[in-house]
Order: sequence, then structure tokens, then C-alpha cells
Amino acid sequence: MIKRLYDIFRAFKEYLLAGSLIAVSLALLALNDTRQIRSIRSHAVVAVGVLQGVVNTNPAYFNLRQENAALRDMNVALSDEVSRLREARLENIRLRELVGLQQKPAHHYRSATVVGKSLQLLRNTVTLDVGERDGVRVPMPIVSESGLVGKIIFTESRYSVGQILLNRDVRVSAKVQRSRVDGIIQWDGGETLILRNVAKSLDVQPGDVVITSDYSSLFPPGIKIGTVLASTLAPGSLFRSIDVAPSVDFARLEEVFVVLSTPDSARLALEGRAKSYSGEQ
Amino acid sequence: MKDFLTDVLLSLLIVVIQTTLVRFVAIADITPDLPLLWVIVIAIRRGQIAGTVAGFSIGLLLDLLSGSDSMVGLSALTKTASGFVAGYFYNENKTLQTLGGYALILITLLVSALHNLLYFFVFLQGTDSGLSGVLFRYGIPTTLYTAAAALLPMFVWGRRTALHV
Repeated sequence: MIKRLYDIFRAFKEYLLAGSLIAVSLALLALNDTRQIRSIRSHAVVAVGVLQGVVNTNPAYFNLRQENAALRDMNVALSDEVSRLREARLENIRLRELVGLQQKPAHHYRSATVVGKSLQLLRNTVTLDVGERDGVRVPMPIVSESGLVGKIIFTESRYSVGQILLNRDVRVSAKVQRSRVDGIIQWDGGETLILRNVAKSLDVQPGDVVITSDYSSLFPPGIKIGTVLASTLAPGSLFRSIDVAPSVDFARLEEVFVVLSTPDSARLALEGRAKSYSGEQ
Repeated sequence: MKDFLTDVLLSLLIVVIQTTLVRFVAIADITPDLPLLWVIVIAIRRGQIAGTVAGFSIGLLLDLLSGSDSMVGLSALTKTASGFVAGYFYNENKTLQTLGGYALILITLLVSALHNLLYFFVFLQGTDSGLSGVLFRYGIPTTLYTAAAALLPMFVWGRRTALHV
């Protein structure tokens, strides 16, 4: 009997092995994002992060002259904008005091270099050369000078991994800056981002700037996400179909900033309680 | 043992290259799938079992590095299947000819196409994206680019074959 089983095993060992490994893969898919997998991931990130840091080549070295000129131009424009914004901020403080609104907290940023980038098969992530020892935590937002990049999903002492907006798992609560219409930004694998959950009757036009919304407990409000490319009325749907061009050029992403802020735990707890209360009703 | 360690080290190196340097040769965000190509090479050189195990190990490492919250196991699944399929082209007496000839390109095309079909089929479950659209935008270009990248090992082993003859 045992010999017969052994013979069967020998005859079909390739199939049994492949079947077993496929079963393990499917089990991992089913397990999703457990604590154990996160722990294994963080070790893998730090091991490969060290190698990535060694192998990484920064192509900007070859364009430093042009980049310096562009940065000088940008510096002049930003200095001008800062002085105007400073005036606006003072005015904003006075007006907020008049109507009794709270001041929004200022955020601190940690600059980081992209040492690894995965652009493979819709699972786009970046590896940054900052980690827990720099104050980076999950799920801090990542931004660049052009706008929102994504969020941190793993950290180790010296490295962290972030999901960028071009990742199917990322959803961002967003707002159209001009008309204050709210929606959810996500990516379906196409050339552009999609602004979802915007009713047909609401006002969204091509050229409108999309920013992060106050409703997000993760991302600070007002960060630019992109610009509306097209806003169409899909037949048979209650919602608009809105394509948004991301403001960040993810293919050329090299320097980013991690916003050193984590979600307000009191707010999250309150929202969680409200959600469970709604579930009971 | 030495061959095994060499393969493990090369596998790690290829994963690191895939996540760092390959982006510099991206064409419209499409990159060659070097880990898949390496799994195919292992399967042709060492057989179906080695290809399957290599596919699972490399795929799992890519999964752990990919950062997709809900998709750990997807690359392991697709690359295990790829290593298994590529293993059918293993022939102990014709390894160098297979790796050093156009057969490698054809095998890569076939295995990569199956890999991407399976990958996107699973990946797009529960989304509004159509499989055909994503396959045209990402699947087919990635398959072609990976097959083009197979020219490099083809030339390397082609030279070895010439030296043996």
C-alpha cells in the first residue's frame, strides 16, 4: 500500500508540488494582510532596501544644470507666492477669529529619496530611504512638490514602502477645488485616475483642480491630486464619469516628502463608533 | 550545492534589479518581467520541479515587496504556474540549444502570455476594469517586452553553445 502510494507520488511529484505551491499561494491570497505577513514583509523590505540603496542610480546627475535653472525659476515664483499667501494667511486668521473657527494644524515634512520603484503590472509602489528612525510611520501621506504621491504602508528602521496613487488599493477622499464637489479618487489601471461617486447633477468641468478633501482622516486637506481631463455623463448611470490627470509625474519621481502626521485617533474612534452604531440600526 | 547558491543569489539580484534599475528602461510604464524570464531559464536548465519552486519563491518575494495590501500570493501563484509550464520545455540533452536559440523567445512569449493572463484575471476580480482592455494596455506589451529581453540570455547561451561546438 505504502509502496503504491510512494509510486504514485514519484510518478506525479511535479504535479503534486505545483498543486501544493499553488494552494499555498491561494491561501496567502485569501489571508490577505495579516499581522504575520506584515512582519515578514517588513524584514523583506529592509533586506532588499539595503540592496536597492546600493544599486539605485539617480539619472538626475546628468541634468543638474537644467534642473538648477528650473529650480531657480521655481524659487522666484514660489517666493512671490509665499509673500502673497502670508498676507492671505493673516487675513484668514483674522476672519477665522471673527467667525470662531479653529486654526488648521501645520504639518511637518521629512524629505526622502526614492531608492526603489515598482512599476510592474498595476502594483505600483516606491521604496523610500527614510524609516521609523526618521519618524516615518504607517500610514503617513507622501507628497511631492507637484502634489499627492500616496501613503506609507510598511516601515522599517531605515526604509519604508509607499503605495502611490497608481495602485488599485489606494482610495483618496477628494474634492473639486472650484465647485467643492466631493468624490473618491481611485485608479483602475488606465492612463488616468478616476473621480468616483460624483452625482450627474453636480458641477465638474475639464480643467478643474482636484484636491484632497477635509473628509479624509488620512490625507491633510488641500493637497493637489490632479486636474480633471474629462467629465462625461455615462448613459444609464447615476454618476459622472470623471477622468483626472495626476499632478505628479510618477515615472520621474525621485524626491518626495513624507507628511509626519498620523490620523487623529479620537476622530477615527468616533467614526468607528458611529459606523458600528449605524450597523446596529 | 554551488549551482543552487548561485541561482539563489542571481534570483535575489534579479529581483533587486527589477525593483530599481528596470524602471529606467520602461517604455510608457511597461517594463520587462525579468524575474519571470529568470524562472523560465531555471525551468529550462534545471527542470519542472526547480522551475516551479523558483517561481513560487521569486513570486513570493515580489509579493512581499509589492505593497499591494490584498494581493500577497498573486505573483507566487502566477510564477509557480509559469515555472511549471516552462518546465515542460526541459530537455536534459538540449538545454543549451533551447536557451541559445529562438526557442527561448517563443517559450518566453507563451509562458509570459499565460502568466499575464492569469495575473490580470485574478487581479481584476471585483473591479470595474475589463480584462481585455488591461491586457491590451499592460499584458501584451509586457509579454512582448519580456520576450525581447529574452534575447539577452539567448545570446549569452548562444555563445556558450558555439563554444561547446
